Amino acid sequence: MSDIQQTVYVVEDDEAVRDSLELLLKSAKQAVKTYRTANAFLTEYSEKMAGCIVLDIRMPGMDGMELQKKLNDRHSILPIIFVTGHGDVPMAVDAMKEGAVDFIQKPYREEALLEKIEAALAQDKEQRKTLGEKQEIVRRVKTLTPRESEIMDRMIAGQANKVIAIELEISQRTVEIHRSRVMHKMGTHSLAHLVRMVLSVKDRIDAR
Amino acid sequence: MTENGDTTIDATILLVDDNAQNLKVLYETLKDRGYRLLIANDGDKAIALAHRHLPEVILLDIMMPDMDGYEVCRRLKADRATADSAIVFLSALDDVDAKVQGFSLGGADYISKPFQAQEVIARVKTHAQVIRLERELHARNRQLENDQSRILNAISEGIYGLDASGDIIFANPAAALMAQCSAEELIGRNFFELHFGQAKTLQHHGDADVTPVKATCRQGIPEHQRAVNMQRLDGTCFPAEYRSTPKLEGDTLHGAVVVFRDITSELDNEKALEDARRLVQEQRDQLAHASRMSTMGEMAAGFAHEVNQPLTAITNYARVALRMMASEPLDRALIEQTLGKIEAQSHRASEVIRRIRGFVKKPAVGKEVLSLSALLEETRQFAEVDVRNNEGGVEIFVAEDVPDVLADPVQVQQVALNLIRNALESTRSAGSSIPVEVTAERRGPECVRITVTDHGEGVSDEAEQQLFLPFFTTKDEGMGIGLALCQSLIQAQGGDIGFERPDHTGARFFFTLPVAGAARNS
Repeated sequence: MSDIQQTVYVVEDDEAVRDSLELLLKSAKQAVKTYRTANAFLTEYSEKMAGCIVLDIRMPGMDGMELQKKLNDRHSILPIIFVTGHGDVPMAVDAMKEGAVDFIQKPYREEALLEKIEAALAQDKEQRKTLGEKQEIVRRVKTLTPRESEIMDRMIAGQANKVIAIELEISQRTVEIHRSRVMHKMGTHSLAHLVRMVLSVKDRIDAR
Repeated sequence: MTENGDTTIDATILLVDDNAQNLKVLYETLKDRGYRLLIANDGDKAIALAHRHLPEVILLDIMMPDMDGYEVCRRLKADRATADSAIVFLSALDDVDAKVQGFSLGGADYISKPFQAQEVIARVKTHAQVIRLERELHARNRQLENDQSRILNAISEGIYGLDASGDIIFANPAAALMAQCSAEELIGRNFFELHFGQAKTLQHHGDADVTPVKATCRQGIPEHQRAVNMQRLDGTCFPAEYRSTPKLEGDTLHGAVVVFRDITSELDNEKALEDARRLVQEQRDQLAHASRMSTMGEMAAGFAHEVNQPLTAITNYARVALRMMASEPLDRALIEQTLGKIEAQSHRASEVIRRIRGFVKKPAVGKEVLSLSALLEETRQFAEVDVRNNEGGVEIFVAEDVPDVLADPVQVQQVALNLIRNALESTRSAGSSIPVEVTAERRGPECVRITVTDHGEGVSDEAEQQLFLPFFTTKDEGMGIGLALCQSLIQAQGGDIGFERPDHTGARFFFTLPVAGAARNS
């Protein structure tokens, strides 16, 4: 998944700032896409987008903060770098609480901006990787039969085969067969690894 | 005195005859008719009684020993105190010469002896009435004369009566007080020399003699002038206001009446008033300036943003240009294009700063002929600086026939900005996105009306009454200066400001300004 193309999405209402930023990022060999309004970005947004958003906090119509909330509602993991003006620090603090990775004050130095963008892209890559792994675990969990997942839950809870057999009124041998199928389907040989994998996606499994 | 039918006449009648019998008859005839009757049997007694009691009517016998009736009459008429009594001669002499002599001595009437009682009664009654009326008339005239002179004396304005050559023939005490001498000293002096002597050479403009009052004395033209310098007797001067009216009898000019007063303290008061007015004006300008500074303070974040946008773009473009310079081959056209963009953005930044500087410029710049569309457009750009999150913004409609106005551009912009910002704030609070509408239209030949209408929260009835009162505010952080100051500023431009309830929810404020041409003509 590391070879996914990352793009810097610039949402900025000021034409000159937008145009200059686009040229700047392109000259720094960065893939860029620009949007004049928050709405324009939201219309085009999809989960497949990778990279980061450079978002002007003050804009006519929907402002940066509102766009951030709408993206959060849609479980976007795109890191957001807020671009703020002189008096916007309180807003920026709020934005950080809402999960923005960083903010930068206008006018900014190119190095500072590029650094922040790089960090955001790295974070995006990392999140995307983790997300990929989790999605794989969830996919595997979904291949388990109801009986297998019941037995996996008891394995994770630390029950011994013998206990599982008695409580489910099946033979200990049958438990062992299910158990090896679970380990196989989940792609692991260690109970400890299985526990860690399942706990990492616990929220998603519970929601199924 | 009895209660007879004729008691309405309360007159004194003196009866004079050397014959006691005649006196008795006369007395009997006139008694009980409401008269006070006095009796004398010779001329000396008659004169003495007349002096003491001033009778209205004297019935006087002509033929008396020692002093005859004619002599008594002559003496009574010669004395001012007794001259007004009506003297009715009584005599058996019934010849014309005697009557004529009686009348020529000032006699009022003549009764022949032997007389008829009815005739005596009737004549006495008539003459008593006439004399009473005459005396009342005299009394009233005296009263009027007294009143008149009291008024002339009491009046604080100086009054002169002048003859045609300008010599003073009358002066009231106030005139004397102002000239600093007695009224008697003024009489006979020449008004022009006394009061305008020193300035004589200055009073000639070409052929015309413009010494005050001269035209009134010589041509009968009334004058009214203020702040002319009048000399006192000692040569010092005082500022005066005067009116002069020609004295005309028929078509003949007999001089002039001049009413004048010393306006030293009046001028002082006016100057003090003018100073106070100027101070108020200065303070209003200072308050307006402070308020503009405060507005700029509130809008600082917006302005910082406005300046930061082009600065950000400039920084970015500059970096891009540097990269282009470092790359091979050199794309000159692209570099030029980028530098052009940098230039445009620096103009944009300096434009924002120019606008701020213009707005906070210290004293009011004074009235100018202004184009409203340009002024309102600039104000709109100004106002939108700190309402960038408001989608509606501001829309301006200036009717085509709106003429230029005469007003102070900074102060008008301040008022417009204040109203527009209030409107935007109200719009935002109400969560509305309908633009604030600013219109300008001609109202009559001398007036242009500007309105600012929003679809915001509106104004409550209670608040409406107090909108323009100082220190009234509906804002949490307001000081209540804005609208009160706007009112003061607009009134200083010769306009008016007010509030109207629009058909929709929201508020409409308006103000008027004088049309440039109209203001200059009037």
